[in-house]
Order: sequence, then C-alpha cells, then structure tokens
Amino acid sequence: MNRVIFSSWAGKVVDNRGLDTEKYTNVEGLALPLEYNGHRIRAFMSWNGIVVTDDGVNIIDVAYSYLKEVQKLCCGECTVGYAGIKVMLDIMAKILNGAGTESDIELLQWLGIGIKENAKCFFCTTAVTPILDTIDYYKEEYLKLITDKKAVPKATYKVRVSAPCMEVCPAHQDIPGYIELLRNRRYAEALEVIRETNCLPGVTGRACVAFCEANCVRGDIDSPIAIRALKRVPADYEVTSSLEPKLEKMKDNGTKVAVIGAGPAGLACSYKLALMGYKVTIYDEQSSAGGMALAGIPSYRLPREVISREVEVIQRAGVELKLNTKVGRDVTLNSLHNEGFKAIFIATGAHLGRELGIKVEDDGLIDGVRLLHAVNMGKKIGAKGRVVIIGGGNVAIDCARSCLRLGFKDVTIIYRRSRAEMPGRKEEIEEAEKEGVKIHFLAAPVKILTHDGKVTGIECIAMELGEPDASGRKRPAPIPSSEFVVETELVLSAIGEKPDLSFLTEVDQIEITDDGNIKVEPDSYQTSQAGVFSGGDCVTGPATLIEAIATGNRAARSIGQYLRLGKTVKPEEDVMADLVHNISLSGQRGESIIAKSMRYPPEHLSITDRVKNFTEVEKVLTAETAIKEAKRCLRCYRVILLAIN
Amino acid sequence: MVKITIDNQIVEAEPSSTILDAANKVGIYIPTLCYHESLSPSGSCRLCVVEIATNGKSELTAACTYPVEEGLQVETNSEKIMKARKLVIELLLAQRPHSNRIQELARKLGIEKPSFTLAEKECILCGLCVRACHEIVGADAISFIAQGLNRDVDESFVKHSEIKCIGCDSCAYVCPTEAITVEDVGDTRTLTMPSGKIEFKLKKCKICGSYWAPEKQLEYIAKQSNVAPETFDVCLNCRD
Repeated sequence: MNRVIFSSWAGKVVDNRGLDTEKYTNVEGLALPLEYNGHRIRAFMSWNGIVVTDDGVNIIDVAYSYLKEVQKLCCGECTVGYAGIKVMLDIMAKILNGAGTESDIELLQWLGIGIKENAKCFFCTTAVTPILDTIDYYKEEYLKLITDKKAVPKATYKVRVSAPCMEVCPAHQDIPGYIELLRNRRYAEALEVIRETNCLPGVTGRACVAFCEANCVRGDIDSPIAIRALKRVPADYEVTSSLEPKLEKMKDNGTKVAVIGAGPAGLACSYKLALMGYKVTIYDEQSSAGGMALAGIPSYRLPREVISREVEVIQRAGVELKLNTKVGRDVTLNSLHNEGFKAIFIATGAHLGRELGIKVEDDGLIDGVRLLHAVNMGKKIGAKGRVVIIGGGNVAIDCARSCLRLGFKDVTIIYRRSRAEMPGRKEEIEEAEKEGVKIHFLAAPVKILTHDGKVTGIECIAMELGEPDASGRKRPAPIPSSEFVVETELVLSAIGEKPDLSFLTEVDQIEITDDGNIKVEPDSYQTSQAGVFSGGDCVTGPATLIEAIATGNRAARSIGQYLRLGKTVKPEEDVMADLVHNISLSGQRGESIIAKSMRYPPEHLSITDRVKNFTEVEKVLTAETAIKEAKRCLRCYRVILLAIN
Repeated sequence: MVKITIDNQIVEAEPSSTILDAANKVGIYIPTLCYHESLSPSGSCRLCVVEIATNGKSELTAACTYPVEEGLQVETNSEKIMKARKLVIELLLAQRPHSNRIQELARKLGIEKPSFTLAEKECILCGLCVRACHEIVGADAISFIAQGLNRDVDESFVKHSEIKCIGCDSCAYVCPTEAITVEDVGDTRTLTMPSGKIEFKLKKCKICGSYWAPEKQLEYIAKQSNVAPETFDVCLNCRD
C-alpha cells in the first residue's frame, strides 16, 4: 500500500491528507494487502487501526459498517460490550442520517473508551480501536456530516472474521465461537459450529496437532487454551448422550461425484459435497474408512470406534462408501467417468515410507508406516528384544510408543537434529519419554549390522548443527570419526512418507510433480485433467489431519463451482480467506492486564496402566473442567473490513 | 496471606481471594450488581471496575474476578474508574430505568438519568439467575443463548415441554432487576420471566394446611438427598 493517504495501523500514524502525492510519507513495514481480486482496496479497517488509500471513502460509513459486524460477534456477556456498542451504533446511524449533533462525538468517544478499557474480553476492547481512531483523526468528517445534515448513502464492504487461533488453523475453524458455546454448556450447537469446517470433531479433538494452540494469545500471558481437548468435549457428549447430529442438507441435485480415498481429505470433501446436495460415492481399498487417521494413528491416541462413528455421521449425510475397492484394480478413472460421475476427487494420501538410503545388509529394516498400518489394522506382531526407530516426526513417535505396547523391551529413537528441531508434537514426545522411549539426538544411521543373517545393531554417526536449511531448521552435518553402535534386533525407518500413485496410468493423464505428488492448480485443486480434482497428502506430501480436512473442504467448494458453472473459479470465500491469511493477526495496541490462570489439561492414564496395552491414554475433560478452561478464552476475534467499490 | 494495597491502605487477603473480597473485608466500598457472595463471580456488569498497577502499567479490571497477588496496587475511585463506572450505570439505567437496585446504584454514583437512550428491557444479562440455577440448585433449567444482540437467557421451557425448572424461585431471589418474579396464590406458584409465565403446584402441609413449597421442588430435593418423599408431607414450621 504505497499510496496510503492515512494510516493508524499498529498505532503508527501517517497522515498524507492534503499533500501532493510526491510528498507522501511511506508507511514503513505495513504488511497489508493492496488488492482484492484485482480491485484496489480503498480503505481497510480492523482491530489494529485504519488504512485509507482513497479520499472518496466515507470513513464514518466504513466505521459504522465495521462496528455492525463487531456487534454480531460481541459475546453479549458484559454491559459495556452488549449495550455500549448498541448505543455507539445508534449515535453513528444518527450522524450518518444527517441528524447528529456535536455533543454526539464526545458521547461516542466516551463510549468507545469505556468499552476499550472496561469490556470483559479481548474482543470488544480491541475491536473499538479503529472507531476511536476515526474520532481522533477524522473528527472534521464527523463535524461535516453534522453541519451538512444530509444522509450518507450506504456502501457495501467485504468482511471476514478471524482470530490468531483461527487463522493458523488450516480449516479456519471458528474456535472462539465453539468455545463460547461450550462455556454456556451448549454442546450440540458447539458441535454444529465445529462441523461447519471440520467433519471429524472427535478425531481431531484427540489427534490434531493444534496449530491454534501454538498461536493462542493466552500463550503469551500464561498458557494457551486447551483447544484440542475442548473440541473433544461436545464430540464425546454427542456419543455418550446418543444425540442425533444436526445435518443441514441442501436438496439432492442428482449429480454424481466420486471420491477416491476415505481418509480425512476424502471424507471432508464428501461430507461438504453431500450437504451441498451432490450424490457422493467414496472408494477405498481398505476394509474400513479413515485412511491415515485409521492406519497411521495408533488406537491409544485415537480409538477405532471414534473414527467409525464419525464416518457413520458422514454416511448419514448421504455419502455412499465402497470399501475393499482399489482404484486401478477394481475401477479406473475412466470407468468412473463412464458410470456417470461428473467430477472425481483423488485423496489417496501418502502411505509409502521414504527409503533411508543407507546400506542394508539384511531385511532387518522395516518401513515404520507399514508397521503402524499392520498394528492399526489389527494384525498380530511378534515383538521381542530391542527396536531402533529412525526419524523425529509423529510417525516415528507413534512407532516408538506402539512398539513399547507391543512388548519390545527397549525402544530407542535416533534423530539427526536436536530436540528443538524435532517435528513431532511436543506433548507426544514428552509422553513417549515418560513411557520409557529413549531418544538419541544428533545421530544419523550409517549401516545396519548383522550376524548370521540376523540384525544385531545399527552403526550411527554423531551429528552437529550448522546453518538453517530450506525448512528453516538447522542443517545437521556428521562429525568425522564419531561412529558408534546401538545394539538392536529391529530397525524401523520413519523419515517421511510419499504418495503411492501406481494406480494412475498413462491413460489417466494426471500430471505428477517432481516430488512425486499429484499436480493441482492451487486455487481450484483441479488436476491436469478437467473435472478431476485432488487434495490431501497425495498433493502436499505427508501433512496433518487438519490440513487434509481443510483441503477437502476447499476442494468441495471448488468442485461445486465447477459442476455449477462448468469452470473453476476461486470461490469468493477463499479469495477473502487467502487475503486475510497474509495479515499477521497477532498483537494489539495497548495490551490489557489479564489475571493469570493456568490451563486445565486433560487427565492421562497412569504410565503403568498404559504401556502394556492400546487403551486410550488421554481422558476427556469433565464438564466442569471444560467450562473453566473455556472461560479462559479471551475471544481474540478480528473483524476485517475492506472498502472496494 | 497476601499483602495488597487498596487506596493506599495495606490489606491482608486470602491467597485465592479477589480484589473485591479483600476490599469488602476492610470495608472499602466497591459497587457491584452481578456479584453475589454465594455464587462464582462473572465480571459481567463491569460496575466493580478498579484500577490496578503491575509492572508500571495501570489498567482497569473487574474487582470481582481479579485475584489478589502479592504487592498488587489497587485504586477504587480514580477519575478513570469513575468515568468507566458512570458509563456502566448509565447503560444499565437506560435499559432498566425502573429497577430499584439500579436507581439506588445510580444515585450513589451521582447519576440521575442517562445521557443517551436505549430500548428498555427487563433483563440486563447479569447472569445471576443462570449461575444460581446451576451452582446452587443444580437444575440447569436456564442458560445463556446466542451472542451479540441476540444474547439472551434461554427460558424456552416456559413455552416448551422440556422443563428442568423445579419452581424453587432462586432465580427470582437473585434477580437484581425484577425481571424474574415469583408469586404464590393459593395452591399455585407463578414464576414470571421475560419470556412468559410458568405455574407450579404447591404442596399442602398435612398438619397446618398451608401451601409451603412447589411439589416439583420437593420431589427434586427428595431425589437429590435420598430421603423419602413423605418427609415433605409436613412443612418446616410444623416439624419438631
């Protein structure tokens, strides 16, 4: 935004009004978008201030429209927020109708300050900031409206609501929204809010990596809200209370869509499309649905019945499930076309373990993902002796904790960087160590040692960290002559997964990237073939549950556009979402003092009760604890309003 | 004990108590509306706003919810506080001008009438009724619904069949604005809420013949405390 006429963003005021453009002061470091879908953004208003690039915008109308949106999100729990905003809007409407008086400006300011300083949660205290800015810097505009006594024509604006937690969630779930409902013990409604963007609340309530918690504003004050654990509360409540999930479905339109893969991405896409009225059939080669959530996540973290229950809800939305059906063997993309499917969504995941690339003298090296698959699909595994797992991600941790439960005497993880760089979820790493998993940091495998055809150990080399690499993590380098041996009877490799795309043939003409993933057009998820879409791990490489769900949702919107319009146009919702995604939502002007209160984490099974079996480790928060935890939420919603036309 | 300073006076407070508890102990007046000593505080009305200073920063906060901490500096009547409180009471008064409780608080703060108008409503959403129903009674008959302008106390049971309400009148007892009232006439108790009326049959005492409590409430107490329902055939006054 170079041609900024006025900015109060982040409290730094730049005022170029009345100056020749060549005399304009640039706004340093203003990381805000310039354009919305090719249109210049003429004014921008949000929690952190206002930015104006066009004199023709009526800032008071902008402020009024913004505050109207704020009112919709105000929790209504405190007098100043609930009633104060009402009065402010009344006064602003009066001024905009040409009926204001000079004393109204003073009144408006008093109300704004009263809300800023004394509202109960972070939302209203921060949301009124740009309104106060208009009074501080655009007072003459107010006075002009008051003296002119003419009504201002109402303009329309683009609006999006987010929050620091919502924005880092790939699915942009309305986290403050469902926490607010939980706080008021309205479980069914909380679940409705969650299901709008996440069709697997019970699954993610247990196994989500929770990007949201890492970006929770409360984390800077005491400790982040236990968002993941809170999400599980209404999901479990629905099951234990035998409640019927409320599904709002559009009229069936008869158009058939095929989804390949019943993992999180495929399920999310199917659920959304089914609610939009499409007739969706999912094909999956396994005997039960769930994809990587089922095959990759051990049941001590995610019990099988939780997955089957959520799949059942998706089926209830009208999705048909064809299991034990492998694409490439039982059906092909072509045969699906011939069966009348108007669009296909490929979400086959990334189930192949990456090769370690070290000297293997024997078959004592097993792919960690394959072991997890086998265990999770209920196969018997003979476990004895020691095991070494190579890798530092969630699959490595899942392998280690599963091996412990299978009865291995000694479980060691070997990771080439240090604890700080370990990509696995911190909580999981801690739990693994509590259970007795040993982690050998800064070590890389060199070769597997055998004797008489049996694995006896693994030779490793010590590593040190150098400069950060492309991933931002410090690059490990071997320390010469630092080789050492770890004795073991089995080695598992868990250094990453890649998609198995062997089901695609030349005939399908689906383009593959150099990384071995399916190539898609980023805004529409369409592959090189019209009408064939793809998302999830087979496009991104191994990612998280919630990223898969998010792409499933977005792909569904895109497929819907394609089927309605015959072409892919980025949905407006996603245009605005991506625009807001480029704005840092953290930080606010004038931090409030918040009384510290540490979070209420869920209880865990004792170590002795859990290491010999696959019983779920984490317990659900009790109703009372959940409410206490929900009350800690500061509701850091941000309303972002753009003036375009 | 934790030592804090309230208006230049050093006050010793229980470690888990709030600024309001500490002030009440030494007789420093802080106005309250949504606070009740038997219920958990909620910080809804914002009338008990005080100014606290930590790390050189001074901010307003609600005395009823802010916990004491060693060395905390509290002011209860600075100009900033008075301005904030004046706004709160004007907002309350504009919504519920005829409430005795609100009028009394306004008088104490030197306010006669608000400087703006607001649509009048019976309920000011202080939440005392919801907390009493949950924390004291355990019936959970009422709760908050929606947000923003639609925020309300859900008393839909007044019209619908699912009634968890036992007619105990705790909500009416704590309501500061007479939005919920109760009246016993003959064998009937009528609970009047902003959304409508609901009637409860009262139990007749076997000895004195007076109608002394709602049958539903007595059934609830009998069940909760595991006593025979016949225990309540006789009213409290007629027992030995």
